Amino acid sequence: MTKKEFSFNDAILRIEEILKNIESGELDVDKLSEEVRRASELIKQCQKKLRTTEDEINSIFKEMS
Amino acid sequence: MMDSRLTLSELQLVIRDSLYLSLPDFYWVVAEISEIKQNYSGHCYLELIEKQEDDLSIKARIKAVIWASRYNFIKSFFENSTGESLREGFKVLVKARIEYHELYGLSLVINDIDPSYTIGEMAVKRQMIIKQLEQEGVFGMNRELELPVVPQRIAIVSSRNAAGYTDFINHLTCNSFRYVFYTALFDAVMQGTETEQSIISALDRIALKSEMFDLVVIIRGGGSQTDLSWFDNYNIAFHVTQFPLPVITGIGHDKDLSVTDMVACKSLKTPTAVADFIIESVAEMENHLFEISSDIREIAQEIIETFRERVERASNTIIPLTKIMLSDSDKILTDLTLGLSKSGMDKIFKAGIITANRLSRINSSALSLIARKANITESLKKDLASRTSDLTRRINQMLLNLENRMDILSPDNVLKRGYTITSVNGRIIKSATEPMENDVLDTMFSDGNVQSIVKKGKQIKTE
Repeated sequence: MTKKEFSFNDAILRIEEILKNIESGELDVDKLSEEVRRASELIKQCQKKLRTTEDEINSIFKEMS
Repeated sequence: MMDSRLTLSELQLVIRDSLYLSLPDFYWVVAEISEIKQNYSGHCYLELIEKQEDDLSIKARIKAVIWASRYNFIKSFFENSTGESLREGFKVLVKARIEYHELYGLSLVINDIDPSYTIGEMAVKRQMIIKQLEQEGVFGMNRELELPVVPQRIAIVSSRNAAGYTDFINHLTCNSFRYVFYTALFDAVMQGTETEQSIISALDRIALKSEMFDLVVIIRGGGSQTDLSWFDNYNIAFHVTQFPLPVITGIGHDKDLSVTDMVACKSLKTPTAVADFIIESVAEMENHLFEISSDIREIAQEIIETFRERVERASNTIIPLTKIMLSDSDKILTDLTLGLSKSGMDKIFKAGIITANRLSRINSSALSLIARKANITESLKKDLASRTSDLTRRINQMLLNLENRMDILSPDNVLKRGYTITSVNGRIIKSATEPMENDVLDTMFSDGNVQSIVKKGKQIKTE
């Protein structure tokens, strides 16, 4: 019921890692675009998590109160 | 004997008189309040006790009263000085005299309370709790927990009806960033003798579902009620130190910190301040994300720019190279064509024999040249492919034209149209002046040769 399919911590660590990879300048162009795509997906996911109410959590929390 | 008998009231009078005689003054007395209540007329009735130091059993007890006329003054002075209201459990220094009443017995009439004694006592008690938590090695345990990166799921210990709770919820849900927060209230009594048991029970209930939450807040409205001492409580503080999630307190006191505040991961003055703190942590994290994403975009942009420049440089080299190649091929073909056209009939004849070879050689070498060029860069393949296929098409077209022209020029076709080729001794002759009398002419038709003898040279005019 409390599946942790998304973790801000993991997402941020992953995004920071991607930045480091890109900064290293060792990526070829194909890898680069893949990493950029992955990073922007993760960022999008984070922002969605921050602003979209999840009904499942909401109802569990209401029940507890 | 009979005359020495007293009535009960007479005896009481004697007691009272002797008490008043031997204890005529006001005395400063140290005691602990075990009960306190104000009645409808405004008088305050208390029970004062003294406990054994070792086992805390009660070693003395007395009733006391503060008359309404004094109580209002004493009460507000005490509250202003200590930030606490007079209540059970407080140690107080009272100025009192003895009163003896025939009906109600012995009691103390209090006409003053020294708040500084209680302040000192509270500080001592607080220090003792802190020391005990430190000795047990638990004091800093909750403070060592890391605050969550995104505190979005919040367990609240508060009272449902408290103003502070409503403030907190409003503040959190109406945040300007439009962040979503999930809150669950674990209702608790936030002051009074039930506080300890009630808060601990709320914390226990949260602990059972701790994986559902990012953090716990203990909040209580400020208002006029500022009794912080309920949170100078060993058991509450101990539970906070042991809590698996970070605890943030906002129990509304701006002067002092309670022990619970001290052991909490973070302590703020008001519920609203706690809400602000939570919103800001999320905003900080999001800002960090913005920074990273703009860094990534910038660096990726640079890399792409560099790559584009490389491609451009490569294509700037390839295009002129291709043009040179094209004009070279053109030249070869033109030369060839010119060479062929310019040659005499005998050269044409020879050319006719080798043209096919030559053509295919030119064709294949031109194509292989193109293919080699095409391999120069993978990334330009597409661009080059269209250029090379264009080139190939042009070359093929030229070759085709050439072929057609050479077809027309081919001796076979000339012969077929009725022309003949005449030679003497294997040498093609082009003029009537060339054969001599009696020369053997070899005339080549399309379908075979005929030999004839020249009867008369030169005079014979061809038709």
